[in-house]
Amino acid sequence: MNTQETPKSAELKPDPHQAGRSQAEEWKQLLARNFLVVILVALCVTMGFLQPVFLSGGNISNILFQAAFVGLAGCGMTILIAGGMIDLSESGVVAIAAIAIAMVLPSTTIGGALVTALILGAGLGLINGLLVAYVKIAPFIATLGSLYLFLGLAFISTGQKVVPIVSTNYRMFTTGSIGPLPVPFLVFVLCAIITGFILHHTYFGRAVRALGSNEVAASLAGLPVRRVKLLAFVFAGLTYALSAVFMSGRLSSAEGNMATGFEMSVIAAVVVGGTALRGGNGTVVGTAVGALLFAVINNSMNLLGIASYWQYVVTGVVLVLAIALGSARSGGSRIRGEG
Amino acid sequence: MSSNDMLSAESLQRDERKASEDRARRADSLRRVLQNLGVFVPFVVVLVAGIAIAPNFLSPSNITNMLVNASILAIVGFGMTVVIAVRGIDLSVGSAQALTCCLVAASVNGFGPLGGIAVGLIAGAVLGLINGLVTTKLRVPGFITTLSTMSVYRGAALIFTAGAPIIIDSVGFKGIATTSVAGIPLPFLLALLVGLAFWFVLERMRSGRYVIAVGSNPEGAIDSGIDTQRVILGAYVFSGVCAGLAGVVLASQLGVINASVSNGLELRAIAIVVLGGTSMAGGRARVVGTAIAALLLSMINSGLNLLNVISAYQYVALGVLLVLALGIDSGQRAAVRRMLEGRGTEQ
Repeated sequence: MNTQETPKSAELKPDPHQAGRSQAEEWKQLLARNFLVVILVALCVTMGFLQPVFLSGGNISNILFQAAFVGLAGCGMTILIAGGMIDLSESGVVAIAAIAIAMVLPSTTIGGALVTALILGAGLGLINGLLVAYVKIAPFIATLGSLYLFLGLAFISTGQKVVPIVSTNYRMFTTGSIGPLPVPFLVFVLCAIITGFILHHTYFGRAVRALGSNEVAASLAGLPVRRVKLLAFVFAGLTYALSAVFMSGRLSSAEGNMATGFEMSVIAAVVVGGTALRGGNGTVVGTAVGALLFAVINNSMNLLGIASYWQYVVTGVVLVLAIALGSARSGGSRIRGEG
Repeated sequence: MSSNDMLSAESLQRDERKASEDRARRADSLRRVLQNLGVFVPFVVVLVAGIAIAPNFLSPSNITNMLVNASILAIVGFGMTVVIAVRGIDLSVGSAQALTCCLVAASVNGFGPLGGIAVGLIAGAVLGLINGLVTTKLRVPGFITTLSTMSVYRGAALIFTAGAPIIIDSVGFKGIATTSVAGIPLPFLLALLVGLAFWFVLERMRSGRYVIAVGSNPEGAIDSGIDTQRVILGAYVFSGVCAGLAGVVLASQLGVINASVSNGLELRAIAIVVLGGTSMAGGRARVVGTAIAALLLSMINSGLNLLNVISAYQYVALGVLLVLALGIDSGQRAAVRRMLEGRGTEQ
């Protein structure tokens, strides 16, 4: 609503000053480009009126926590989708990394647990990458297979039980705040900046985008296609492990299905954020806004007392709408790699 | 002199054509061998291992059990076969089946068994239609459409049941899964019937040829006047109906329906389709392979259950099986391509 009202009212006024007019145009463009931010702000303001609790410090930090989990994994997913790939195995990787943390924590330091989680994340990402780049299985189906593989391993290693995290230091480290901002959110911002830099200012990032816009051309141009795919999955695995670090701290436990359905939220955040599913480009800022948007939607539904089951429906519908809108805008002819 | 040249050119051409025909034939037979290897070798291995290791593997009740489970899976697999044959994918079958199961259970209690069956089939068709319409009209890639509806349908099932199980009262309805005709379980006959009808449509009727045409070459299909969007829409509807029909049998088998039923079914269905030799590249649908692979999967699960292996290992077995099947699929494509290009060993 807000998107349309502001520029319209500016246009209706017969403005004699040319400068004023072009400024209105600029505003219009700015709003059109950032309509997601506008929706986010509008949603926050509405919720602030409906439920004043929404704007309390505790609730806001709650939202930032949720956004950080999705956003961290979203960084890796943005790279993958920009490269024309996709990954459905996050919830498996997150479960294994979190279980590993819970298991090694009693005998090692926090640093040791972090390193274990990151190594595992990279390793599982490597498996996905090998399946996609070298066995040449389509990414979404290869990672669907590895999802169940990882989940099975997670269940076996825990004996289908919940592993508690007793270390208070670990919990304090992962759920702490610096000023008003939770640590996971700060780590997410840092990770997003690094991801943005990688995607837009490094050889690897350029190769990923080239791969995403036209794999055959990228291969003919001599880019190391296989190695780039492999690296992209390893990077994604690392970001999932980071997400697992904070998620396990927040839950102060780990189990096989702690992240069930997580892949949906992550893909939805990335795609709604504006990274086109056909690959070729990615926006980490968009992913961050998308993650915040979904965190706000879910939080609002909780505050309004709507059954949590509706979150499944809303996430799915928003995802389809975002992609349908995107394909309608790009004329459809440029969409490739369907199915 | 010049006529001699022409002659040798012609004979060269003939030789070349013959050689390429030969290559094509060999490539085709290689493809067939690899396809059959993918499902028959594991089938025999599992069968022998099951008889050797698992106690009571061949007891009548276990055989019936395996056949019923395989039938439910195979019916879903037939729908998935046609979707994959037109280069689509349906990740929502598990959630669609859960939602139809809940609707079936509620309507059996409300309107009786026949009403329940009708509701199940209609619900399946509608859910498939939604997938098809979003994919073709809104131009959303099939796997994203069905990934989203997977979440939406599951949510709808949870909302419908409010998280509580539904208990089916009708004894007659529960009989669907347990009745045997001449010693053969009714679900198995049902799967056989669906499989035969599906095979007939695919091999002998125009719409079946359209499916293959759209899958093997979409641009070519459009150029020859086939309404590809309608074929794709039809494939998703068929998949939905199959999920619904299997949901009816499953509801009858379980008797108590939870919204979390059929979790991960999509993976099992995709696994049996690809194991059965239907290519992910589209354009080839193998009904018999899908049915045999369904039996294979049900034997593996039954064997692991009889050996008291915790269910998590079934996940791992499934993941490994799927990756293996997909590896064979892509390896076979590469091998056939190499052979067609006449470079048997290099590169």
